Amino acid sequence: MLRVVKPKNARSKRALEAREPKEVEDPRTVVFVRGTHTGEVVNGVMKELMALKRPHAISFSKKNIVRPFEDATSFEFWAHKNDASMFLLGQSTKKRPNDLIIARMFDGKLLDMCEVGVDQFVSMNEFESSRPRPGYKPMLHFASELFDTHPRFIQLKSLLMDFFNGEAIETIYLAGLEHVISITVAPLPENLASVSDAPVDGHLPIVHVRGYSVKLLASGQRVPRVELVPMGPSLDLSLRRHQPADPELWKAAMRRPKLKKQDVEKGLGKKRKNLEVDEMGDLRGRVHIAKQDLGKLQTRKMKGLRREPGEEESESDEGVSARPTKRKKAV
Amino acid sequence: MDVSDILASQASKNKSILVVEKDIPPDVDAGFLTVTDLNVIDKESYDHERETYLQSTARDSVQLLLSSLFSLPTLSSPEGPFAQLPTPTTQLPRAKPLPKPKPLTKWERFARAKGIHSQKRDKKVWDEERQAWVPRWGWKGKNKEEEAQWLHEVPANADADYDPAKDARVARKARAKQNERQHLQNLARGARHQLTATANYVVGTGVGAGMQTERKKEIDRTLATTRVSTASMGKFNRALEGEKKLRGVKRKFDPIERSVETEKSASLALIKKLGNDVRGSSKFKKDGDGDGKVLNVRKAVRFASGGRGAVSLALKTTTATQYGSDGKGKRKMQGKGNGRLRWLPTELYTH
Repeated sequence: MLRVVKPKNARSKRALEAREPKEVEDPRTVVFVRGTHTGEVVNGVMKELMALKRPHAISFSKKNIVRPFEDATSFEFWAHKNDASMFLLGQSTKKRPNDLIIARMFDGKLLDMCEVGVDQFVSMNEFESSRPRPGYKPMLHFASELFDTHPRFIQLKSLLMDFFNGEAIETIYLAGLEHVISITVAPLPENLASVSDAPVDGHLPIVHVRGYSVKLLASGQRVPRVELVPMGPSLDLSLRRHQPADPELWKAAMRRPKLKKQDVEKGLGKKRKNLEVDEMGDLRGRVHIAKQDLGKLQTRKMKGLRREPGEEESESDEGVSARPTKRKKAV
Repeated sequence: MDVSDILASQASKNKSILVVEKDIPPDVDAGFLTVTDLNVIDKESYDHERETYLQSTARDSVQLLLSSLFSLPTLSSPEGPFAQLPTPTTQLPRAKPLPKPKPLTKWERFARAKGIHSQKRDKKVWDEERQAWVPRWGWKGKNKEEEAQWLHEVPANADADYDPAKDARVARKARAKQNERQHLQNLARGARHQLTATANYVVGTGVGAGMQTERKKEIDRTLATTRVSTASMGKFNRALEGEKKLRGVKRKFDPIERSVETEKSASLALIKKLGNDVRGSSKFKKDGDGDGKVLNVRKAVRFASGGRGAVSLALKTTTATQYGSDGKGKRKMQGKGNGRLRWLPTELYTH
């Protein structure tokens, strides 16, 4: 498809090396693609989601004829070109008005997809609250029992987590937690709730996506009191088509790196007791030994203190009190 | 007295806000800053006051998430405390496969086998004369010291045109060239290794040295061919030291007694072959070549005419009738070429 490039200078070499697979990956770059026709709603949704995803977002401003459920080659091409591993395609057709497709890639190939329709959209402009700053990580809140049981919602949760918060970080500045994305599934219709956990595809409940900004208030304790203020965007989504991941590809995508020796010592893998790595990077161990019995301590041997074989009985008769006095002499 | 009551009530109120009670405790994944609340949505409050309900459930869960975040160990920094997050419990798929380990160089493999720990060589070395750190190689490098010095030692038995500076330079260039060659060899070795790995992966044999044994066999075959490719077909070659006598392929026979099952399958395979037109699958399909019939006309004509073609055959029949030979003539065996024998009517040659 694309030619394999051999870097000719150091700069392009660095750029290519940055694209190579890493053990700890960069956050996913999302490409926002417009379909043949996008209405006002889809445009607004894409714009707001992009504002939340920035700086890991690329916008395709031109219209494209893409039907990823039929042919995903365009996604694969764009993924290679832009080093992106996620797509958000928005288009509006008569059959599927206000349509969003979230697609995820693995190794330049399409992994899985989920199509949602936007039933209702309220922009961030409608709310008074402050907007999140780009690059700030959101907190995520998922509420429904279906996120644990229903395959469609498990997939949706995984996709949305990857979209909003896919990057694993080591430390975080707690005062920088500014906004929450809350995803709630509407309760099941009563006639379905009694039947089973897995409703039919056509009757899947609506998903509410809400953005709130967080206010941390003093509570008199270490943990502050949380207040949420609606920030937007607020979306009501209905699930449409989807494409689950190919099991082989999924297995390959879920492969984890082996734990580093250092991590094992830190206790991330197998627990290792009494070992720690100090600030200098040295491995320090702690040895526990039983309490020392000072009664058996060998002191200086002197001729005068030597016990004769016959003497033993008489000494034992003297009892415990006699011993320390003898010791004292010896010392 | 009143004050203490107020304080107590306030504290309890704060506590009630901070402590969230739910039927199923929400699942907190601090590594991804995610909280999952698996409680069933209350349909009544959802229907009546949807937005307030959504916000209140979100608030409760976020409160839980934040209390778990604030209980994490912190690192201090000029900007403020940073919470150290645990590794995430949720597993998300990777965007790219895990990086492949770099192939070891020849030296690295040797060092590993011998248990040698390589020390990292500094790029700079200490120059006693200049009292400074200078680069080991490159611009103003230490390795050019010998050729750049103003006075050279010349051995007593040196030639008249002996140039020590040039000698040192040549030696240095040779070292660089050797290093480059070794680097390329390492690259090639690494690539070959990876190729065998993938080849074995494809075939599924799981044998590490599949490619290497194949290559060894190929070399042996080439050597055997060259040894018999002299004018005397290898008979009068000067024997090289350590050269073994060429051995042909030993014929192997199947055991006479076989199980009924194998015998049956072998016979069936043979019968199947007989029934099929084997040449039908040939790429070079000529006129009259099989044509889906059992008789190969082209071959039959060639056979009957002794390789002279259909015209000679027609000529033959006419001459045969002319000379009145009605098949009584003697038949002579005629050898031709590579041990093939053809039966031909003698008339054509005798007259």
